[in-house]
Amino acid sequence: MEPGDAGKQARAAAQLRKGVLEYCVLALMRDRPRYGVELLHALEESGALATSQGTVYPLLSRLRRDDLVTTTWQESDSGPPRRYYALTEGGRAALDEFAHVWPGFRDAVDAFLATPRTSNGESA
Amino acid sequence: MKSFADPVRNYLSAVERESSALPADRRQELLADLAEHIEVTRTERPEATIGEILAELGDPRTIAATALAEAGTETPGTRAGGGGDGPARRGKVHPLVPLLMLTLSLPFTMIFNMGPDATFNPGPVFGFLFRVTGAVLLCTSVHWTAVQKTTGVLLTVVVPTTVIASWNVISGWAAGETQALLGNLGVLALMVGTAVWLWRTRRA
Repeated sequence: MEPGDAGKQARAAAQLRKGVLEYCVLALMRDRPRYGVELLHALEESGALATSQGTVYPLLSRLRRDDLVTTTWQESDSGPPRRYYALTEGGRAALDEFAHVWPGFRDAVDAFLATPRTSNGESA
Repeated sequence: MKSFADPVRNYLSAVERESSALPADRRQELLADLAEHIEVTRTERPEATIGEILAELGDPRTIAATALAEAGTETPGTRAGGGGDGPARRGKVHPLVPLLMLTLSLPFTMIFNMGPDATFNPGPVFGFLFRVTGAVLLCTSVHWTAVQKTTGVLLTVVVPTTVIASWNVISGWAAGETQALLGNLGVLALMVGTAVWLWRTRRA
């Protein structure tokens, strides 16, 4: 493998992650409010969406400023109070919208990737 | 504990340094989020070293760069269902401020009221200013919807002012102390109730 390959792959993954991360974060809050560390755990376990954890907090901050999520402080049995993030109506709408366009998007990319070289529209 | 605090403090000051281009409130929020993350992770995974926790959080420069990028992509009104209040969404006043000003305007009026014959009557004058300022802050706040704001202004400003003014006119300032006090307390209860409702239904 050439020295730059791993870096290029990481960059491709980072580009993809940038587009979908916020919707995955919103999806994690669909059923109940979650606190920051909890959200990061779930992203971590997914593998592909794992990211430098600290970068998720600026994202959460923007989601809150954009009124897609609200936050509340809740006491915990152990440790400090946690800031819980919950979907607003706007957040739910944004998530539904994304869930609606994603299958078509995914299928289109899959179709491009699966297309054999010979059927690219030029003479076969 | 010194052994924990120092690397954490160094880490957070590195984030603070790198994110100096962020508005101060955003920077403070980011630092608070990271500090909370570190605290929560330490209680949930006591076996993890502070070095591991900070390594997982990532490079302060990367975090600061992400925060700056997120601040740059913000376009008020295009998200959150569109529309919105547009340029009015700037009010960054703590939601308690308008609520306290509105609620406290009445007790302030009552306590510092020198009666109708005083040349300068600080209670009603400042009470009135509190009420007006509180109403303006409430209406320009980002924490409530238009309906909540209208209801709030109606119940904490319009109704109390109307009731008290008409009371004064009808009774010609001659009503008994007890009656006036009961009336004031009734109005105060309405204002406190409204303020509590606004506080509970506010957006974070």
